[in-house]
Amino acid sequence: MSAPLPELLAPGTEPAVARASRARGRGRARNLRVWLSAGFLIVLVCACFLWPLVYPVPKPTGGSILESGLPPLSPGHIFGTDPVGNDVFSRILYGGRVSFEVGVSVTAIGLVIGGVLGTAAGYWGGAVDTVIMRVLDVLIAFPALVLALAIAEGLGPSEMHVIWALSFFSIPAFGRIARSATLALRGQTFMLAARLSGTSRRRIILRHVVPNIMPQLLTFSLLGIGVAIILEGALSFLGLGIPLPEPSWGSMIAQGQGTLSASPELVLIPSAFLFVTVVALNVLGDALRERWAR
Amino acid sequence: MAIAEEVREQAEPGAARTRRIRPSARLTGRRLLAAIPVLWGVTFLTYVVMNLLPGDAAQELLGANATPAQVHQLEIQLHLNEPFWVRYGGWLGGLLHGDLGTSLASRENVTTILGQRMPVTAELLLYAFAGSIVFAVGLAVLAARKPNGVADRISMVVSMTGLSIAPYVLALVLIYIFAVKLQVFPAIGYTPLTASPGANIRSLTLPAIAIGFPLFSVYTRLLRADIVEQMQREDYIVTARAKGVSPWRVLIRHALPNSLFGLITLVALNLGTLVGAVAIIEPIFSLPGVGAILIQSITDHDVPVVEGIVVVFAVVVVLAGLLADLLYAVLDPRIRYERAAS
Repeated sequence: MSAPLPELLAPGTEPAVARASRARGRGRARNLRVWLSAGFLIVLVCACFLWPLVYPVPKPTGGSILESGLPPLSPGHIFGTDPVGNDVFSRILYGGRVSFEVGVSVTAIGLVIGGVLGTAAGYWGGAVDTVIMRVLDVLIAFPALVLALAIAEGLGPSEMHVIWALSFFSIPAFGRIARSATLALRGQTFMLAARLSGTSRRRIILRHVVPNIMPQLLTFSLLGIGVAIILEGALSFLGLGIPLPEPSWGSMIAQGQGTLSASPELVLIPSAFLFVTVVALNVLGDALRERWAR
Repeated sequence: MAIAEEVREQAEPGAARTRRIRPSARLTGRRLLAAIPVLWGVTFLTYVVMNLLPGDAAQELLGANATPAQVHQLEIQLHLNEPFWVRYGGWLGGLLHGDLGTSLASRENVTTILGQRMPVTAELLLYAFAGSIVFAVGLAVLAARKPNGVADRISMVVSMTGLSIAPYVLALVLIYIFAVKLQVFPAIGYTPLTASPGANIRSLTLPAIAIGFPLFSVYTRLLRADIVEQMQREDYIVTARAKGVSPWRVLIRHALPNSLFGLITLVALNLGTLVGAVAIIEPIFSLPGVGAILIQSITDHDVPVVEGIVVVFAVVVVLAGLLADLLYAVLDPRIRYERAAS
């Protein structure tokens, strides 16, 4: 789905100068979007991974029952505590670690395995293509959440198992994108030139194919991390993801569900973090795709 | 394509007889035949995954305190001690007779279970899909009317929100706003259509929004992009404008029908992935559909029930793909004539 750019207005509808200045303005808006979303993500990742090392926060588990159910902005607990007395802010930070670890690992596995399979299918074509794509097709046709649920349930809840289960989503998706990007390159003149000049197959793939399909795969990775974070939350929400009492945004939301009317913040705080993180990833992915689309 | 047909014609003269069948019927037949391996692959994969995973149904059903002898006896009773191929073959044989087997947990007929629960899920999905498509077409047309205008910007923000929000988060936020605070919709529960149509719609509205809003966002983005592309790239738009057709008419009668192909493809593809959304959303709203029982059955290793649900959704996906292909022909005379000519 290559979204046509909004600046492709019907030619001649406005003078060239106005068009150019408007395009510049839009370029600035796009830069702003990139910096805002990337900045937010960097701050959040640093907060999740570095803050607990630098600045002491309460432990995310094993809170005291004496401090249970504190409202937000209580002294020492900026987001309050949950019904078992755990500090919500600290659970958000440690849960964020899980989200980012799972999101990045699942996407990296998909990028490498799916990318290799898709590039091979697109480059060689023929029987290789048919076999690889049929297997990926069955994986796509299969209701993937059922598969992930079954795997997560069967292997038992743990972060590693969640990563394996969710990789069944990311591998076929990356495989398809890598294949179509490689197919689009096959007819290009520079590929023919490389082949005619006797470049080895290895060199063609590594020096000509991979650098050309990388932008597409990398922008898709950002969207993929967002999807993986949502799905990790879904598995944890259903109790099949990160084992309790370890924090995960999904299980925090599930636990808050019971007290939704009395203390909605237990649902709304992790939900807000989940939502804003995914928005930032999607906005960044979109903006980079537009930039690289030309 | 045409050459291949000619070669085949020469090779087997009898093939000419099939020519008289209407092209749409032939397409239907071919697609249904091609669906058989995919359906088989899905059922087989489900069986393999459900069997490879550690844990077994007898142990799950009896609980942790069961003695090995009890577990063994139940396994014999449920035929779980038989080899994999015998069990899968037996199940597949039953499927060919329209028998989906019996649930390991409740000993009920899977067809009966699905017969009770599928209508709720079907109604919910129909509601979610109809709503998301209608609103997506409306918003996309408004947005494409003037790219980068106010409506376009609103549509971008709305669809980015829908793309980024997790369905379970949306469900809980909706419950908090509309059920807890405003109390306009019930938070949980289901009223059958026969009991009270109004209450039925109200009980399904929040879950339908939770499932439909992310779909609506994807559809809006796709359709808006497709319409804008049609408006900018196609000569027939210039012709229509030059003839003095009003801008709205150009948009709705000329550009929109030609932009619907991507949307139709995506809707058909989406139907299959929805089983996941249903499994998460239905339990939140305590709806008696297939979603809750799907998760329970996966946890219990209740293979026949999981298989039954997976098969029904796989068949729906195949039929939706077929319907999408037939709709292309309705929308585009070129496809119609090409098929009739070939």
